[in-house]
Amino acid sequence: MDNLITANIRQRPVCSLVSIAGVALGVALVILFTGLSRGMSNDLKRRSQNVRAEIIFAKPGSLQLMSSVTNLDTEYVKEVQQVEGVEAAVPSIRYVSQSGKGFGFEQVEGVDWEPFARMNEMRLVEGRAPQAVDEVVIDERKARDNNLAVGSVINLFGNLPYKVTGIYTPEAGPRVKMSLAAMQDALEAPGKCTWIYIKCRNENEQAQVAQRLSEKFRDFKIQFTRDVFTSVEQSIPFLGLFLKVLVGLAAVVSALVVMLAMYTTITERTREIGILKAMGASRGYIIGVIEKEAILISAIGLVVGFVVALVTGFLIHRVYGLVFEYGWAWALTAAVIGLLGGALGALYPAIRAANLDAVSALSYE
Amino acid sequence: MRTILQAENLEKVYRVGRVDVPALRGVSLDVHEGEFLAIMGPSGCGKSTMLHLLGGLLTPTSGRIVIDDEDLTAASDARRTDIRRRKIGFVFQRFNLFPTLTAEGNLRLAERIHSANGADDPERRRDVLRLLKLEDKMHHKPLELSGGEQQRVALARAVVTRPALILADEPTGNLDSENSAIVLNMFQELNYRFNQTIIMITHNPEAAAMCRRIIQMRDGRIVEPTASIQV
Repeated sequence: MDNLITANIRQRPVCSLVSIAGVALGVALVILFTGLSRGMSNDLKRRSQNVRAEIIFAKPGSLQLMSSVTNLDTEYVKEVQQVEGVEAAVPSIRYVSQSGKGFGFEQVEGVDWEPFARMNEMRLVEGRAPQAVDEVVIDERKARDNNLAVGSVINLFGNLPYKVTGIYTPEAGPRVKMSLAAMQDALEAPGKCTWIYIKCRNENEQAQVAQRLSEKFRDFKIQFTRDVFTSVEQSIPFLGLFLKVLVGLAAVVSALVVMLAMYTTITERTREIGILKAMGASRGYIIGVIEKEAILISAIGLVVGFVVALVTGFLIHRVYGLVFEYGWAWALTAAVIGLLGGALGALYPAIRAANLDAVSALSYE
Repeated sequence: MRTILQAENLEKVYRVGRVDVPALRGVSLDVHEGEFLAIMGPSGCGKSTMLHLLGGLLTPTSGRIVIDDEDLTAASDARRTDIRRRKIGFVFQRFNLFPTLTAEGNLRLAERIHSANGADDPERRRDVLRLLKLEDKMHHKPLELSGGEQQRVALARAVVTRPALILADEPTGNLDSENSAIVLNMFQELNYRFNQTIIMITHNPEAAAMCRRIIQMRDGRIVEPTASIQV
């Protein structure tokens, strides 16, 4: 194509590549971070929605987002079951640790399979429930993502090997579950749990059941499951604000890189701008040429950024198991940021070029 | 004969630090349609300043320039640019082609700037390239052309938009004698064939001798009465 804009881009490949990389970086950052946030949040929501128990009975401070304590006596199960309206009570230990791959965190649940599966309408699609202290069951997603099958071995609590004895569906809570006894053994906490899941006889009466529990167990924390397993955005304060700041920073990075690159090329092309002026090119025409060049670079950067984000997200998912979900709204935001950042970044160099003195520009060496 | 360019008592003073340096000291000049005029003089005599003023690249400190009935000195910067776009073609000593574009690309760029609406005239382009013997060089980039060929492309770029006036600043200054002769012949051809008005700055007496009229400048003034030469 014999066109000044594309010819300029081809003529200065390093400068063009730096600009494209700058825009791509900004776009990829926005897509990756928002995709990760959305993916993790939706993943948590999906798994939480499959927990059918309406109430969580625990001691205050037993569960944080990144940690849990095992401070509740399992003896309370019997007392809880005697409360009017309670159909079933199942003790559980939730263990939160750093992912074995060193990135993110991982949860393991210690719960007796039969009553828990009955309570939450879960079933094994393959294999059997865990029985020995070194056995676990995993959900279908975990099996698929990590290429695990019945008989596979996974490492938990550092490097302790656990044998997969079954694969269950639907996904509910942590993806790895072992028996309560096995977890108590691993944590050296016999007779203890993190909380007790409570299923009400009539789910429409969960408020009344919770009220009765609160009256009977005054020093305990009675929470509705729907409030405990909330979205990542709500669990991490200011995550939404953080994402917005990140998006803003990505825009600034894109704009700055394009500005620097365009500023450099404009300086290199001072003489050419002088020629354009001598040929009668107006300020608008010169600004237009530079802006079109920046927008073309930004558009290429945008495509590269999307590809980089998708490939990186896929690789992170494969290696670390983190879930990415991309939405059109954020993709559109990233596109606007990439294009607008590039266009705004080029504006100052473009105006500067348009205002160059023609005679000085023509004599520029 | 119609007057294409009228310069009245042009003065140009450059401010260098706190010192005023006069470059032109009251130059008056009339150029008629179809003239091929050479401006000669030693370095620093104000020739280039004169050419830049006539092309609207600079504004005079005082005086008046009228090109094809449009007052350049009374016009705003944007208006001067517009007059330059419509009425003036420049040819420089250093060719000043866009190195990233082919010969044809350079011409099309000039056409795009000239037409404002992006329209071009392939027939005119072909005629000009044929006249300047560049048909087989259309798809070559400047670095693939000899100096003489580059200057012919620059000349083609200047004339392809049918300007009222061509301003040439030492167009043979970077060429050997053979290529100089070729380029000067092209200028003459354009002058005769298209009645193209040309003002050319040159140090070269042989180049000046090909013009219909020569003026001599010294210290910012025209020092010799203009002489018309019958070629």
